[in-house]
Amino acid sequence: MSNLEKPLLDARDLIVGYPSGGHYSRPVNGASLTIRPREVVGLIGDAGSGKSTLALALMGLVQAPGRILGGSVEFGGQDLTKLSEDELRAFRGRDISAIVQNPRGALNPLIRIGEQISNAYRAHTRATPAEGRAKAIEMLTMVGINDPERRVNAYAHELSGGMAQRAMIAMALAAKPRLLIADEPTSGLDVTIQAQLLDQMWQTVQDTESAILLVSQDLGAIANYCDRVLALHDGKIVEDAPVRQFFAMPQHDYSKEILGLHHAQGDRFPEQVSDAANDILEVEKLRMEFPVRNSDNVVHAVGDFRLNIKAGEAVGLVGESGSGKTTVGRCLVRLLDPTESIIRFDGFDIGSLDQRSMRKFRSRIQFVFQDPFDSVNPRWSVSDILIEPLRQLADMSRAERRKRAEEVMELVGLPVELLERKPRGLGAGILQRINIARALICEPEFLVLDEPTSVLAPRARNALIELLGKLQKELGIALLFITHDLTTVRYLCQRVAVMYLGQIVEEGSVEQVFTAPRHPYSQALLEAHLFPDPDHRRVDHPSDSALDGEIPSPIDLPTGCYLASRCPHADETCRSIPQNLSVLSDGQTVRCWKAEHEEEPAEMAPATKTG
Amino acid sequence: MLKYVSRRVGVGLLQLLALTIAVFFIIRLLPADPVARLVGMNASPEAYAQAEQQLGLHRPLLTQLGVYLGFDPEIAPGLIQASLGVSWVTGEPVLKEIGTFLPVTLQLVTLAFVFAFVLSVPIGMAGALNPGGGADKGVFVYSLFAGSQPEFWWGLLLIYLCFFQWGIAPAPLGLLSPLTSAPEPITGFLLVDAVLRGRFDVLHEALSHLVLPVICLSFVVSGPIIKMIRQNMMRALQSDFILYGRSIGLPKKRIGRYALRAAMAPSMTIIGILYGFMLSGAVLIESVFSLNGIGQYAIRSVLNFDYPAIQGVVLVIAAVSLVIYLLLDLIQAAIDPRIVY
Repeated sequence: MSNLEKPLLDARDLIVGYPSGGHYSRPVNGASLTIRPREVVGLIGDAGSGKSTLALALMGLVQAPGRILGGSVEFGGQDLTKLSEDELRAFRGRDISAIVQNPRGALNPLIRIGEQISNAYRAHTRATPAEGRAKAIEMLTMVGINDPERRVNAYAHELSGGMAQRAMIAMALAAKPRLLIADEPTSGLDVTIQAQLLDQMWQTVQDTESAILLVSQDLGAIANYCDRVLALHDGKIVEDAPVRQFFAMPQHDYSKEILGLHHAQGDRFPEQVSDAANDILEVEKLRMEFPVRNSDNVVHAVGDFRLNIKAGEAVGLVGESGSGKTTVGRCLVRLLDPTESIIRFDGFDIGSLDQRSMRKFRSRIQFVFQDPFDSVNPRWSVSDILIEPLRQLADMSRAERRKRAEEVMELVGLPVELLERKPRGLGAGILQRINIARALICEPEFLVLDEPTSVLAPRARNALIELLGKLQKELGIALLFITHDLTTVRYLCQRVAVMYLGQIVEEGSVEQVFTAPRHPYSQALLEAHLFPDPDHRRVDHPSDSALDGEIPSPIDLPTGCYLASRCPHADETCRSIPQNLSVLSDGQTVRCWKAEHEEEPAEMAPATKTG
Repeated sequence: MLKYVSRRVGVGLLQLLALTIAVFFIIRLLPADPVARLVGMNASPEAYAQAEQQLGLHRPLLTQLGVYLGFDPEIAPGLIQASLGVSWVTGEPVLKEIGTFLPVTLQLVTLAFVFAFVLSVPIGMAGALNPGGGADKGVFVYSLFAGSQPEFWWGLLLIYLCFFQWGIAPAPLGLLSPLTSAPEPITGFLLVDAVLRGRFDVLHEALSHLVLPVICLSFVVSGPIIKMIRQNMMRALQSDFILYGRSIGLPKKRIGRYALRAAMAPSMTIIGILYGFMLSGAVLIESVFSLNGIGQYAIRSVLNFDYPAIQGVVLVIAAVSLVIYLLLDLIQAAIDPRIVY
C-alpha cells in the first residue's frame, strides 16, 4: 500500500446527531478518516464511543431519528452526504457494504438465506432470480460454507453463529463492493471460529481487492488483521497510526490506557504462588450429567474433572462454548448438585453436603456471574445489593454492615457515593466491580468468576483484570477464572486448565501451557487465539494446526480420545482407547498418550511473545 | 404437521366436552323455571307435570346429562348421534336451526374482516413508515373515534344517512327483500348458494344489503387491527435485519416487503381473537340490520330458557373459534419458518 495512492474513502469532520430534549446529542462529533484501496483499517473505541454510528454514517446511514448534521464523506469523487436517498441506496452494497454483529439478528428470519443473498445481488444488477440463486451458491462456496447447494435453502435460525456470519459476508460481498465495513463481526463467536472467519474475510477481501474497515473492541483482532489503526474517543478520531506503531508507541491517552496492561506485562508471566501454600480447593472427582427431556439419554456436561487450587492462586479455566466450564464453576459453589463428586474445600468435602449444611461455607466461597446487569436487582440501591449477603450470612449491626459496604467499595476502587445509586445508568465496568464487591463482602477465600470480562470494553476489562490481580495478591483470595479469552488468562493467572467436552485435556502453569502446549486441542486453541501482538500477525504466518469439524455431541461421547474425530495426529489407538490425565515430569498434566510418550513439547509458533 | 393438527383437534374435542358439561350444569343452576315459562304461570299442576315430562326434566340430573351426551339413544338422540337436541320453543332440531342462523353471521363477520384487513394493512404501513406524520396522526384519530362509539350507533347513523337521507342503500330489513324468493339452500350460506344456483340477482341483492353492516363492523374492528399492524411494522422496521438490508442497498420496496411479512405473523393473533369475539359480538349489528344471525338466535334462546338451544349455540361458537385459532396458527407457521409443529 502506498501512501501516495488516492484515498478510496475520505471523511471530513463528520457529525451525527440524535435529537434529545430540544438539541442534538452528538455521538460522532467531527470525525475525519481516510481509507485507501486494499487497506485493512481497524477502528477501536470504548463502549458507547460511537464506533457503530460512525461506521454506518460512512454509508450515509443513520438509525432514525438521528441525522448527519455536518461534514462530508467522499467516495469515488462523490460526496455521499449530498446524494439523494435513492442514489445512496444504489451506492450501498455496490460500492460500500457492511457486515454487523449479531448475524442471526441481521439476517431476515423469514426468508431463506439463498434468496436473501440473491436479493442483495439483484438489488445492484439486472440478474434474473435464477442467476441470483447461482450467485448465492457461488458466494457461499467462496466464504467456505460446506454443501452450499443445501445451505441456500436454510433459514437464519438453522445456522450456527459462525455460519450465519459467513452467510452475511457472502451477502455483503455479492455485488463486489470496494469497501467492506465490518462492525464487530466476531463478537460472541468462539475463538477457533473467530479466527477462521476473520481469515476467510481477510482472504476474500484480498481476492476481490477491496478495503476493510474493521470496527472492534478486540485488540487481538486489530493487531492480527489491520494495517492501520484508528482510535475513536468522544466522537473524534484521536489517533491514526500504522498497526505496529500503534501497539508500540500509542500517542493519545485513551490508546495508552487500553494498551497499558499489554505494555506493563511485557514478556513476563504472573508470578507463581509459593509451593508451601496449602490447597484451598481439591477436586478429586466431579461428574455432572443432565437428563434429556423425553428420553433416557443424558448430557455428559462434565466427566472426570480434577483440579487443585492453592490458597491465593488464580487458575484459568478455558475452552470453547459447550466445553463444560460454566457447569464446573456452578458445581464448585454448589449452585448445581453434581451427579458424583469429591470436592474438598479447606479439607471438608462440600461436594456431598446438602444445601443447609452448605450454608456455612457460603460466605467463604463466592461466585461472580458473566452479565453484570442481569446479576443485580435493578430496583435496589447499590448499598442494598452489597449488604444482602451480610444480612443472610453474617451477624452484624446496621452500622457495621454499612461500614463494611464502604470498605469493599474502596477495595474495588469505587467512590462510596455510588452506594445510594441504582444500577440503572451505571456502566458495565462499574457494575461488574459492584458484583465483585458483593462477592468480597463476606471475606471469602475462594472466588469463582464466570466470564467476568466478556461484556466489557477494553478499558473496563483492563481495569478489572488489574483489580482482580490486586485482590488476589493483597487479600490472598484464590480465583477460578472461567473464560474463553486467553489474553486475560495470560495477564492474570498462575495456572491454566484447558477443557474440552467436559474433561480437562491439559493443565499446567500459564507459562508452560502458553509457550509449549502439548495437547493437540490446546495447540489449536492457542493458535487460533488472536493475541494483541502485531509482530506475529496471523495473516503473515499461515496456520496449520486448525481442527476440522465441530465439537461432538455431549450425549453420544466418543469411545476413545474425545478429540480423535478432529485431531490431525489421531490414529486407531486414539479412536479406541480412552485417554487419561497423566502428570508429566515437569508437573504439567496432559490427556493424550502421544504427548505423554514424547515428553517433548510439541513444536509451535511462539504466538505468545509480546512486542 | 398432520400429527400436530390431529393433536390440536383431539385436545379441542376434550375442551368442547368439558365446556358442554360445564354449561349443562351452569344453566341448571340459574334460578329459572323453563317449564313454567313454557306452560304459563297459571297452568294446572297436571299440565305442569306433563310439560316437565315432555322436556325430560323429571329425570335425575345425571341421566339428563347422559341423554344430552347421547348415552341413552332410546330416550332421545344426543351428541354422540350428532344431535344437539330439539328446541323447546320451536320443536325443531337445534342443529338445523343453527344451520340456518350461523351462516348469516359467518358471512357477515368474514366479509367484514376481509374488508377491515385489506383496509388496515396499507393504513398501518403508512403510519409505521412515517411515524408522527400526517397519515399516522389521522390513523390515531380514526381508531380512537371508531373504537369509542358503540357499533349499533354507527349502524343507525349509516342507515339514517345512506338509506333515509340519500337513498343509496336498501332498507335494513335482512339479506333479501320480502318479495325475493331465496334459492334452495346447499351450503346454507346465501351468497355461496346464490352463485351455485346461478341466481346472480339474489347475489347482487344480498351483497347490497350487506354493504352497510359490513362497513359498520369493519369500521369497528379495523381500529385494533391497524394499531397492531402499525406497532408490529414499527418493530420490524427497527429490527437489525431491516437496518442491515438498508446497509447493503436493498430497494425500498423490498425493505417494505421484508418488514410487512415480519409484522404479519404476530398481527394474525389479534385477528383470530377478534374474529372469535365478533361471532357472538356482532349481535347488535345483526339487530340493527334485521339479520337473523347466530347472535339473534342466542338471545332468543336465553330469553326463552331454551336449554338445548343455549347449549347448542355455546358449543358451536366454541367449536368455530377453535377451528379459527387452529387455522391462524397454521397460517402463522406458513409465514414464519421458525414456528415448527
